[in-house]
Amino acid sequence: MRRRFHAFQQAPWRVQIRLTSGTMLPLIALLIIGGMYLAVNARHARAGRHVLDLQRQQAELLRYNAEMGATLAEMTSPERMYQRALGLGFRYAYPSEIEYILLEDYAPPRPFVAPRPPASTNPGEGMLSPAYTETLGEWFLRWLGW
Amino acid sequence: MEQEPSRRRIRMVLIIVAAVVLAMVIQLIRVQFGPYAPAFAAIEEIVAEQVDKVEPTRGVIYDRDGRVLASNVPLYYLEVEVRQLTETSKKQIAAVLSRALVLPYDDVYGQLTYEWVDEGQLRIRLTREISGGKRWPITVDQIAADVLKGFLADPDAPDLSGLSLVPAPSRAYPAGSLAGHVIGFVNQKGKGYFGIEGYYDDWLVGRSITIERGYIPLEARLRPDPPAGVNLVLTIDLDIQQMVEEILIQTIEADGAESGQVIVMDPENGEILAMAIWPPLDPNNYEPWLPPEERTDEESEDDEEEPVINPAVAGQYEPGSTFKVITMAAALDAGLVTPDEEFIDTGQIEVGGHTIRNWDGRAWGPQTMLGCMEHSLNVCLAYVSSEKLGAPMFYEYLRAFGIGKMTGIDLAGEVSGQLRTPRHPDWTESDLGTNAFGQGVSVTSIQLLTAIGAVANQGVMVQPHIVLEVVGPDGVYWPKTTVLGQPITRETAETLTEMLSKSLSGETNFAHVPGYQLAGKTGTAQIPGEFGYDPRWTVASFVGWGPVRDPQFIVFVRVDKPETSPWGSVVAAPVFREIVERLVIMLEIPPDSIYEGLNLEN
Repeated sequence: MRRRFHAFQQAPWRVQIRLTSGTMLPLIALLIIGGMYLAVNARHARAGRHVLDLQRQQAELLRYNAEMGATLAEMTSPERMYQRALGLGFRYAYPSEIEYILLEDYAPPRPFVAPRPPASTNPGEGMLSPAYTETLGEWFLRWLGW
Repeated sequence: MEQEPSRRRIRMVLIIVAAVVLAMVIQLIRVQFGPYAPAFAAIEEIVAEQVDKVEPTRGVIYDRDGRVLASNVPLYYLEVEVRQLTETSKKQIAAVLSRALVLPYDDVYGQLTYEWVDEGQLRIRLTREISGGKRWPITVDQIAADVLKGFLADPDAPDLSGLSLVPAPSRAYPAGSLAGHVIGFVNQKGKGYFGIEGYYDDWLVGRSITIERGYIPLEARLRPDPPAGVNLVLTIDLDIQQMVEEILIQTIEADGAESGQVIVMDPENGEILAMAIWPPLDPNNYEPWLPPEERTDEESEDDEEEPVINPAVAGQYEPGSTFKVITMAAALDAGLVTPDEEFIDTGQIEVGGHTIRNWDGRAWGPQTMLGCMEHSLNVCLAYVSSEKLGAPMFYEYLRAFGIGKMTGIDLAGEVSGQLRTPRHPDWTESDLGTNAFGQGVSVTSIQLLTAIGAVANQGVMVQPHIVLEVVGPDGVYWPKTTVLGQPITRETAETLTEMLSKSLSGETNFAHVPGYQLAGKTGTAQIPGEFGYDPRWTVASFVGWGPVRDPQFIVFVRVDKPETSPWGSVVAAPVFREIVERLVIMLEIPPDSIYEGLNLEN
């Protein structure tokens, strides 16, 4: 009896290891899951920040585009072009100075068609990758192919 | 003994961890209670307001060749988060803005040092003083904004802490005052006034939407775009507009006139190719043209005479002799006169107890109807309206020509003019005589042009219009030509055109353009006042079209109160000629001889 008891007493590390393992395993599992959540959230946040940056850039570029378009239109306005033509020595022609030539198959220039304004868009949730919105459980099920 | 080093290490780790935690706590306290706490609180408040109104881009306006007439440019308001201001930044913001934008330093500094927080205002928009003691938000363009942004991003630049640039869309008109009355303008609140901007405001502006703000990265989503406004292509040809305006300005200056108008229209489809108005309207500086209730300038609210935006559609006048075209058209169409019918002009006629005389007071003796038109005889036309047509038929024709009715042109502010018919309580029989030569009846310039356009277009009267194309996100829409009616037959139109063509090459040869057969009529109208007609001033006008073989343009010229000569034949007819000389080149219309030669060959 005494020998058996002694044998039991001699292996406390086994108990400690079991206890430690039993405690640490769920902890490590939790840490892994937490880490995964953190990683996904970090990616999500980075992507969100990227989206916000892109939106800011888009707005800025649209503003610059509009500014340049207006500047171009102003620089090519009839008044400016007229003054420039005068400066280069041109003048209006009189009807008697015009020579008319008959051209076979002359195609007059096509009428101008203005560019279409951007259509209204509503991206909604469908345009975001599910990786940014799905839960771990959903991801796991997707991974299993269920 | 062996455990000592490990304990020291544990202690060190704990100290480091404690230090990190302490640093974090200190930082949290700084954020919560430090000098920038109000700024962070402000950001939190902004984030708390979850919804944001997104305004769509206003539609762009083009001329018929695709040149931009109205577009959108960024403009920036200067806003200040007052709780972020420091003593240094207040001074440096005031210094930078006063230098860069030429503003009084004290005015800007005063706004920055004012106790806004006590009034519950944490964010203010900087303003500048304008006339009348009123204030207007300071705005800067992209270039100035770039400079200020550079300062804000550079730690070595002046301290502009608290200042921010808030972008806002603004309307730009690259052609300046060219066609300004046609285009109208958009105020700072984005509302369109007058012209195309006013008439098509609902279409151009699009529809704003409300969205949730996306300040938090985790909540960032692709933002929906609001439905944008439509783009418009006008019938206006900017080259013709430029040419017409240039000639009009030269005329106004040369004749010392008060104002003037020129309209060029295609009589076949009603497309307005040019509409020049003097004095001009610069949509980039629209403040004087705002309605009184919208204006910030107190002095201008007291002005007795408000400026009329686009008087070609919103202003009415007594047309004078150009109106004889309509009277003669009615008589010819009713078969009551012929071009060769003789009339003995005694120099005066009495209609309804009112004696009517010719413009020169002379008796012109035996005249044909052609001669009546050529010499613009009031007596003859009063005879035609009173003795030949009679009131019911005369006014029926006037209504058919759209006199007293709006044309429906797509420009804001159109008025209908005034036509007193026998049903009107103020109508007298003498009106029948005076109306025949354009007195006692008020029309708008566009109305008269539309009516006479029927003569140029084989009797068919079409609605004038400015918009050629409406381009929306879903496609392109081309407004169709609208026929307003056919007041006279094709034969009548051709007969009258022939008469007016002959008369044009006769007395009013100031309007003659070699190589082209044109038709037209001068007008010299007296200006009615409170005490009868003003003996000093007239409205000199001319309406002409061509080429007679296939009219492709009709031109209306009006010069108000010219000093050099009161007569339309002297003041307005040469303007018509000058315009047509250039117009036939721009529209690529060959002279009649070439055209006839081509026809023979074909």
